[in-house]
This record gives sequence, C-alpha cells and structure tokens, in this order.
Amino acid sequence: MPLLKIDSLEIEVEKGTTVLQAAMVNGIEIPYYCYHPALEIVGSCRMCLVEVEGMPKLQVSCNTFVGEAPPERKIEGKYDMVVNTHNDLVIQERKNVLEFLLLNHPLDCPVCDQAGECYLQDYSFKFGNAHSRFDEDKRVRPNEYLGSQIVINHNRCILCSRCIRFTREISGTSELFVEARGNKSKIAALEDKPLDNLLAGNVADICPVGALLSTDYIHKNRIWNLKKQPSVCQDCSVGCNVDVFYQKDKILRLTPRENHDVNGYFMCDIGRYGFHRFEDLDRITTPMARSNGSFSAVSWDEAIRKTADKLGDEGAKIAGIVSPFHTNETNFMLGQIINGPTGTLPQMNDEEIIYQSGFRISNDRSPNRRGMSDVCPALLEDLVSEIDNQDVRMIYVLDDGIDREIDDVWKKILAKMDFVVVQTYAMTTLAQSANIILPGPAPYEREGTITNDGGRVQWLRPSLPMKGESRADWEILMMVMKALDKDAQDFTDIGQVMKDMGEKFPAYDGLSFFRLGPHGMSLNGRANG
Amino acid sequence: MSNKDIHEDSFQYTDSDKVEKIFSQYPDKRSATLPLLHLAQTQGGYITSAIINTVAKLTEIHPAEVMDCVSFYTMFYSRQQGTYKLQVCQTLSCSLNGADDIVDHITQKYGTQPGETTSDGKFTLLKVECLGSCGTAPVIQINDDYHEGLSIKELDILLDSIP
Ligand code: SF4
Ligand code: SF4
Ligand code: FES
Ligand code: FES
Repeated sequence: MPLLKIDSLEIEVEKGTTVLQAAMVNGIEIPYYCYHPALEIVGSCRMCLVEVEGMPKLQVSCNTFVGEAPPERKIEGKYDMVVNTHNDLVIQERKNVLEFLLLNHPLDCPVCDQAGECYLQDYSFKFGNAHSRFDEDKRVRPNEYLGSQIVINHNRCILCSRCIRFTREISGTSELFVEARGNKSKIAALEDKPLDNLLAGNVADICPVGALLSTDYIHKNRIWNLKKQPSVCQDCSVGCNVDVFYQKDKILRLTPRENHDVNGYFMCDIGRYGFHRFEDLDRITTPMARSNGSFSAVSWDEAIRKTADKLGDEGAKIAGIVSPFHTNETNFMLGQIINGPTGTLPQMNDEEIIYQSGFRISNDRSPNRRGMSDVCPALLEDLVSEIDNQDVRMIYVLDDGIDREIDDVWKKILAKMDFVVVQTYAMTTLAQSANIILPGPAPYEREGTITNDGGRVQWLRPSLPMKGESRADWEILMMVMKALDKDAQDFTDIGQVMKDMGEKFPAYDGLSFFRLGPHGMSLNGRANG
Repeated sequence: MSNKDIHEDSFQYTDSDKVEKIFSQYPDKRSATLPLLHLAQTQGGYITSAIINTVAKLTEIHPAEVMDCVSFYTMFYSRQQGTYKLQVCQTLSCSLNGADDIVDHITQKYGTQPGETTSDGKFTLLKVECLGSCGTAPVIQINDDYHEGLSIKELDILLDSIP
C-alpha cells in the first residue's frame, strides 16, 4: 500500500484513495464544496487545493489519487506522496478562492436559511479574508423557482454543480443544467421540465450554501433555535433515516440522515413533507366512550374498566386488527391479548418508484408491515370470513391512522359488532365506529422499533410530546391486559416490552435501543429472521 | 441565451444521410451533440426547443443537457438571424485598430444596434470576441468568411456588393 504523508501524519492508504478522503478519515480538515461522496468528482470549486510535493501547482485534493511511486522516485526514500494542507501557500490560496466565490455573494447571512449550517459561512470564518477587494457592482439576480418546491437564490450560488449531478446521477431525471457561461452562468431548468421529481427536496440539502431553498422551510425559523431528533421516516416500508427538526410541539423540517444500509444520503419528498398532515389535526386527547350515538370523554379508569368488562366476558371471542403503522411492541402486545382471529386491514397500494441510483420508494406506504407480521405470526389472510365463521362480536383495533380508508365490507363488519375498541389519535372513520376510543400518540410522538421491508429493525424515536391525556400505545395495552388478568406481567418501560417480545420471538431476541443505535440492526441470519 | 426565447415547434432533419454520417464519426451518441446542433441550426436558422428535443432524443441524453451545451456557445442562436451575420471582432487588436468605428458605421448605415437584425432580414450585426486573426485587425466575419484589415470605405464597397 502506498505510504502517504499529510502534514506531519504518515499513513498507509489503499491505492486509488483521494487525498481528500485520506485526510477526512484521518481527521485532517480540508475544506471542500463540489465534492460529495454520493456524486461523481468534478473538481470544479478549487476549495480543496493542497500542495503535493513534486507537482508544480497546487492540486485539488478531491481529484488527486494516491498511487505507488517507483522506488527511485519515492520522496525521502519512502513516501509515495507528500501533501501539505496548511502551509502558507495553501492558506493564501484558500483565501483567494474564497474571495472569488464571494465576488457576487450578497453576504446576507442574517436573512439566509442556510446560516448556521453553511459551508460558505464556516469556511469564510475559518479560512477566508475579512475583506474583499472587489469594488465593482455585484451581479444581482432575482430568485427563481426551479420546481414547485425549490427556489434558487442565484446570488448565493457558487456553481459547484452538486445539484446538477444529483439530478443526473441519483434521480436520473436531469432537470438542471448550467445556463450560459462565465459571469452569466447560472443554474436553470427548462421551462417545460421543472425540477419536480419526488427526490427534488434533496438538492436543498446537498447545496453547500444557501442557494437552493425548500419553499416549505424558507424564512420559517433559524436553525439554531431548533432541536434535532434522529428518527426514521414512517411513510413507506423503506424506513429512511431522518433527522426531525422541531421546536416545542411543532416540526419544522425533516432532512435525511446517512445510513448506507437503508437510504444512503437521501430521502424522498413524500417522507420529507409528510409531517404536515399531522399538523392541526383534530386530535383525540382523552379516552372516549360512545353512548346513544355520541361520544363523551371519560377517565382512563372508566375506559379501561368498560373495555375489560366487555372483553373479559366468559367465552367472549375477540378479533384483533393489528397495524403496519404501529411499532413492533404495540402489535406484539395486542397479539398477546387477542384470543380470536387476528388480521390487518387490506394493504393500500401505491406506486413503487425506483430511481437511477437505486433509491426506492416502496409501493407499501406503511412503515412496519414486516415487523407486524414477525410479531403477530398468526395473521389471517381472510379475516373477514373468519369473523363471520366464528361469529365474532368484539374487535380491538389498532388504527392505521388518518391515511386509512375503510371499504364497505369493513364498514358492514364494524356495524355488526357488539363492541369495538379503537386505539387511535384522531377521529378517523374507524374511530367513529368505536364504543371505546383509547387515545395514543400520533406518528411523530411514537416510540419503539419498526422493521423495514429489508428486515432491518430501527429505533423510532419520538420528536414531539404526546397530546393531552393520551398515553403510549404499549402502556394502554398493558392497562387493558392488567384489567383482564391481574397476574399479567408488569412492564415499567418499553425496554421491558422489547425484552418480552424477544423471548417469544427469537428473531427479536436481545434487541435493545442500545444495540439498535442510530442505524438499526438487520434480522437477516437471525432465528426466524 | 435564456431558455425563454426558445419556442416550441416541430423539427425534423431534412438530410438524414448527414445525420447518419455524423453519428458514424463518434464512438458514442452523446458526442454527436454539437455537430447535430450545428446541422440543425444551418437548416432551421436558429435553435428551437423542438431542435433541442430532437437532438436529445437522437443522442439519448436529456433535453436539459442539450440546453446546457447550447447556452454555453455563443454561436448557437435563439432567434432568427439575418441572411448575413456581420460579426465584428471586439478584442484588443481589432479594438485598437478601429473596431468601434466599424460597429458605429454599420449601426448608422442600417439602423441596427449590435444584436439586432435589419427589418428586411438581410443583416444581423454582432459583436464577437477574438477571431484569431489579430495580425490583420480589424476583422469582420461575414457568415463563415473573414474580411481583414478593412477601412470604412472598403467595408462600404464590400457591404454594397452583397446581393
Ligand atoms: S445551487 Fe447550490 S448545489 Fe447547485 S451549483 Fe449552486 S451552490 Fe452548488
Ligand atoms: S422512500 Fe419511503 S421511507 Fe424513504 S423518505 Fe420516502 S416515504 Fe420515507
Ligand atoms: S472539492 Fe475539490 S475542487 Fe471542489
Ligand atoms: S483581436 Fe480581433 S481577431 Fe484577435
């Protein structure tokens, strides 16, 4: 392996490693803009210049590969390459590059949404000049829409072409291009082919400066006011890793979180903007009981007692509807309570989309079908006829939530029931058919594990507080369980539910939030996995 | 050129042999983008979005990539040009040797500003960068031919002789 010397550090690197990569993994900072690990290297921004001994000019480290030198050409008799990342020449050159990049920049950080996570800001502060020598008028251009949800501020753009390469290499949709050249060049889209694919939101993330902006977040807040919660997208069975940015009980934006076993660096716009449908919902925040056709709020004690009274009837058969929108722990707990036929409502199918890079949006827009079937193995294909055959009169439903539509077959079945319990967060069609409604958390309030369609168990972490008197889903089910059977196991937290689940389903044995960590764990190769 | 100047129209190459010949000269299709654009412009006079779509289809790249290329080069036009394009060099040598006088003279003679076309559609006046013939400045290129070292008087005779 070639021996590389960067500054005072001696390291052996794989042949073909770039100087920038070698520096990064060894904790040496080289500033860069156009380089992005998921995209082709273009070496156009010149920010990553370093001095390579023996080469007449500074080199772009992102596009300089370390190779093996023949013995007689080794430097100091042993190095294949010697790189300086912060001698006077490099430091001066960085200042120059930044001065050029900022020629037409409006220096409007106080009103820029990127401020706080902007590489232009950070590098200027760290490596730049305090003053520009450019006395002429700046080139000023108005903002433009590149697509319905992406706006470009041309004045801030440094023409690194990350966004263009994204549309050419990742989405494969190629909407963006550089229009004209020289001082006139700018990022553009053809008028009849705007940037409107379902991955478009990612360009705002990968833009290293504040040029590309998502209309959904423009001027909404400042990034340093927001809290960031790592979590998992719940809008399809892929389970992209995300960071949820929120303030108090309001989500402001979602961005993808790197996970090479799931989503790489990106996420889709369905998941990115999906959180809005849970805003301003008419939430159910107290237990409710229906009498004479109308609902009234009741205490938890009363709701649980009423539920247990009915479900606990001698010889009563209870059907259960588990949900691919709920966590493994919730589905598992319901599975333990139900003694009758168990199933799930018909899958609502959507379009599957696979992009050029392999990025996939699943046709199954529920996050946890795999996990649900793992921990409720006796799910019936045809729950409908089984309910009829066994003449089941009571049903306990984990509501899929506001996206669920109920067909006539199910409406009829629900109408026939003597007693319906629905665990939900809003007055959905299902909730309306309930005798008792038990209020749980909405999607961004949930905690637990979900298993994506590739068999990876991931930690779903809540970013918003639960509303009103609602309680965690596992807790509600435990209350019901305890009311039915005084000797039932006591769980004091969700970790204990996971443990119990692992004992009954070996594929999930030994799972804990600690072991799942930020990137989850694959079930493949585990028992029953 | 802004992509707003380009209008929708349908386009088809009249000489399909030439198209085939162009493709035969390159190892892959996308390399034929520039010559195909030139051929289309020779046929249609300027680049329309129909041309861009046709070239994109033929070269199997996206229209935005063709536009990327079209907008980079100054010799692709987004509007109808005159029959004769009077391209006056503006760069150093020509400038020192009276390029501005030539532009002023043509402007007065035909009433056109640089970038404009005469109302009869005969001439378009264009300012261009160095034509690589600095030793014979000032240089004016009319369509594909150079005319070098012209005085205003010679220029007049030249222009008046164009049918
Ligand atoms: S818009 Fe952003 S990502 Fe695109 S070229 Fe400009 S700076 Fe780079
Ligand atoms: S692909 Fe699926 S999991 Fe990923 S962001 Fe989109 S909806 Fe969410
Ligand atoms: S990061 Fe190396 S030139 Fe842009
Ligand atoms: S300056 Fe006019 S041809 Fe070079």
